[in-house]
Amino acid sequence: MPGIASDPRDGSPVSSALVPFSPDARGPAAYPLHHGLKPPISRLAISWGRGNSLRVSFFRRAPADDSDGDEVGGKVLEVRLSSGDGDISDPQSRRIAYGSVSPFALLQSRRNSVASLSKMSSPYHVEWWEYVMEYSKDINSLLGDPKSLPTPVIEDPKGVMQDYNGLLSSTQATVSSKLVDFQKELVTLQIVEDNAKYWEVLSSTLAVGWLDVVVKMLRLHGSYQLDQIGNRETENGLVEAVAVLISKMPRMRPELGSGRLGECYRAKPDFIKAWEKWRAQITKLACSSYWVYCDHHQTREGLGNMLQIMLGNTNSLCTSTCHWIELYIAHFLYIRPLTVPSTEMHAVKTNDHYACIDKSPFGIITDNTEIAPIYLTSCMKQGVGLLEILLSKQPVQHRQILLKIVEICRLNELHSVSSNIMKIAGVYHWKHGRRGSGVYWLQQARDEVRLNRIAQQLFDSVGQSLSDESFKQWEGLIELLGSESKAAGGLEFLHRYRDFKKFLKQVNDGKSTCAAQQAVESLISLMKNPCTPQRFWLPLLYDSLKLLNWQECPLLNVSQTNLLLNKLQELSMARLRPDFIEAELAPQASGSVRLALATNLGRAILEEQ
Amino acid sequence: MAIPGTALREPPQVHRLPQSKYIDSVRWLPQQSAFDRHAVLALSDPSSDSSPSLEILSLSSQTLSLTTQCIWNPPSRVSSLRTSQTPTLKPVIAAATFSGSLHLLFTNSIDASLESEVSVPEEGLHVGPVSCVDVLDGGAECVSVGEDGRVNLVSVSGSRLNLRRIFDSHGLVSYTAVKWASPAEFVTGGYGFSLQWWDQRKPGGAVSQFKGDWAEGTTSGIVHSIDIHPSRKHTCLAGGSLGTVFAWDLRWQQKPIILSGVGRGETAAHSACESEVWEVQYDRYTKSTNTGNVSSSRILPAMICSEDGILAVVEQDEEPIELLAEPCAINSFDIDRENPSDVICSLEWESIAILTRP
Repeated sequence: MPGIASDPRDGSPVSSALVPFSPDARGPAAYPLHHGLKPPISRLAISWGRGNSLRVSFFRRAPADDSDGDEVGGKVLEVRLSSGDGDISDPQSRRIAYGSVSPFALLQSRRNSVASLSKMSSPYHVEWWEYVMEYSKDINSLLGDPKSLPTPVIEDPKGVMQDYNGLLSSTQATVSSKLVDFQKELVTLQIVEDNAKYWEVLSSTLAVGWLDVVVKMLRLHGSYQLDQIGNRETENGLVEAVAVLISKMPRMRPELGSGRLGECYRAKPDFIKAWEKWRAQITKLACSSYWVYCDHHQTREGLGNMLQIMLGNTNSLCTSTCHWIELYIAHFLYIRPLTVPSTEMHAVKTNDHYACIDKSPFGIITDNTEIAPIYLTSCMKQGVGLLEILLSKQPVQHRQILLKIVEICRLNELHSVSSNIMKIAGVYHWKHGRRGSGVYWLQQARDEVRLNRIAQQLFDSVGQSLSDESFKQWEGLIELLGSESKAAGGLEFLHRYRDFKKFLKQVNDGKSTCAAQQAVESLISLMKNPCTPQRFWLPLLYDSLKLLNWQECPLLNVSQTNLLLNKLQELSMARLRPDFIEAELAPQASGSVRLALATNLGRAILEEQ
Repeated sequence: MAIPGTALREPPQVHRLPQSKYIDSVRWLPQQSAFDRHAVLALSDPSSDSSPSLEILSLSSQTLSLTTQCIWNPPSRVSSLRTSQTPTLKPVIAAATFSGSLHLLFTNSIDASLESEVSVPEEGLHVGPVSCVDVLDGGAECVSVGEDGRVNLVSVSGSRLNLRRIFDSHGLVSYTAVKWASPAEFVTGGYGFSLQWWDQRKPGGAVSQFKGDWAEGTTSGIVHSIDIHPSRKHTCLAGGSLGTVFAWDLRWQQKPIILSGVGRGETAAHSACESEVWEVQYDRYTKSTNTGNVSSSRILPAMICSEDGILAVVEQDEEPIELLAEPCAINSFDIDRENPSDVICSLEWESIAILTRP
């Protein structure tokens, strides 16, 4: 890498590549892409597609002239990442997805109970590993016949980690990605040990067992510099002691690759003995009095934390790792060095189903919303956000699908999402002429604003009066609006209007003065109510002519008549405004109402005297 | 929860049969022979919108496995599926679709092979999807309802279908469920837990309306399924949102009998489930536990399936009896009319379960 070929401080050549990525380690597969676009391609974007595929988008530069104007501006290709034998059909992959839910739910509930029982800040606990194993076994059996795997030991955590990096999307940090980031930053750092990130990366790298990298990084510590060593002797001694301890970590394996650190033991008893000794040395160092003489605060803290990692302190391991797989490895390196994390690990790792465990299982969730919430809600950081986006994107046309989504929202307490979805459904149905469904969903979403707005449209179609034939049609909608306690916006007017019409019908059917009294009360309450749209005032009064001209006695008293006269006056004032909507009534309607009111007023005055 | 009475009952035998497609609906096909049993599945492919299918499968009584007998492709996904018999005891399948068409498939009564198909094309019946269809028992007459607010009658005469529109609310009221009560009457259900009783002899609209606002406006829901027992035609059983199962007795017009779900108040413990009840059917197999008091006002035991994965038998004032509790939704079920001990149901995760009750 240019620019960092040598360490600027001591002049000795130090390999800048902390993470030795070797391009030929796993024999990368080449996928030829036939995009068929004319060059130049200005931009290339890669994202996860469905399942085990990548989506590669090619963008061309906008054409400078018209010569290739008919050329498309870009293309998106799906690249299926499979070795050929791992190809599974859609139904099969859905079956795996369905089957994976129960073990996962069990794992989650165990995790929660472990966490609540131990009252620890972290749920990672000894039993927890048993559960993870069990889960892995379940998933393994779900995936079918496990292939016999060669030498099932994590020989090379580095290789494994890089695989994981490949599996995970780039949005979540891993130890490896942290390390790569830090490597870039390293060039600009003058005093590396003052940087908190340096210590963070060191402990993370140590946690996943990349010993050679750790030692290499430790030796970048400023106390090694010739001009410093005199006054930082103790500090340097401590750094070196830790570096030596790390490079002497006992490993139970026949041999290590060249450049790899650690001491190999073939036999278990030898290994145990060495392990105990190594741990004793760490403990001794941790309790040493030299720490008091170390003036550099960050060094003291950082090295202490590294010792805790080597001693298998769960909290230190948890904070130093990013992903649970990394934690899993750390656990086997420092807590249970004798356990061989073999087939189960491999089974989980080798299939892309792994991606479902903690990360967003995009392949599955885009197919099945029923499964998505189970995975996404267990993913602390982005899960709920992703779920919200996913749910909001679902189609609302089908009642059953809509209800299933609303139910998922209810279970996950995503009330605002569900209310938004119901609003969308309400507007959708309304726009497609299903006014009843539209009103229902808007009511469910308690969307007063839209209910008020559609009320105006609804009143247009109610027209000047509810005719008898259309009454049956309106009846159901008005029932749906329900009692006044329900959100109905301006629509509650319809309820009163219907009642008024009912009474009026009884009057017209030749019912008694009693029915006429009820109709008048209903009329007055409608005219008093601010919800009653102004355009309905005249039709209401015109419909009530019979009541106003009641033969036997005046039905309205003086104040009631005055109220109606005032309304009529208000109406003639309003008529001057440009936005006034004239009711479609006979031209003499206003006159006849005024006359009837005046007559009634006269009779009422006489009556009251 | 200890359920009295269930301790004595043996649990049903359950056979799960994974499918490779999403099951929109499942029904038994009425049989003539006790040896040949068939089920009808409406299937769709979740990976692609194309090629929904209707499959008739034969059930092997020994292995309880399903073998596809014949496949028929509807123009779009099936939104409602019913089976019945013609007056000549020929099995008939009524399938309505999301694109608004209705299809009647007549099958051979011996081997269930497809003999003929008559249909009303899209746009002829409804604007948008058909919500629900029901076939009159013993007579080839169908009633269909939709969210567009139309109520249609479709009758078979020879090889033709006659269409008659009973009512059109022009979208002011949407219907989501329908069930025949008698050759002249049927019941529809819709939003706001509403039910409407219709009588062909009294045109112009529903003869009776049930307002589903017993929960005092706090909660409301949708009726998804209706059943009416042939011996109690005055009572209509309905299942819908919020785990609600209620009965509407025409003789007590506005007072529902709640079997499960909201509005139960102090007896809420009897709720079999708390999410959408997708289907209800009277369960002829379960004998009422309260045999001493089988008055005509008592609601007979009924089976329900729900979004929260419950298949259960509910009975008035009794604890529900759970037959299945699945991790995924149970979207539809059917009780075999010849062998009411047998139930077939479809699960959200692309499988069929067949229950045999002891």
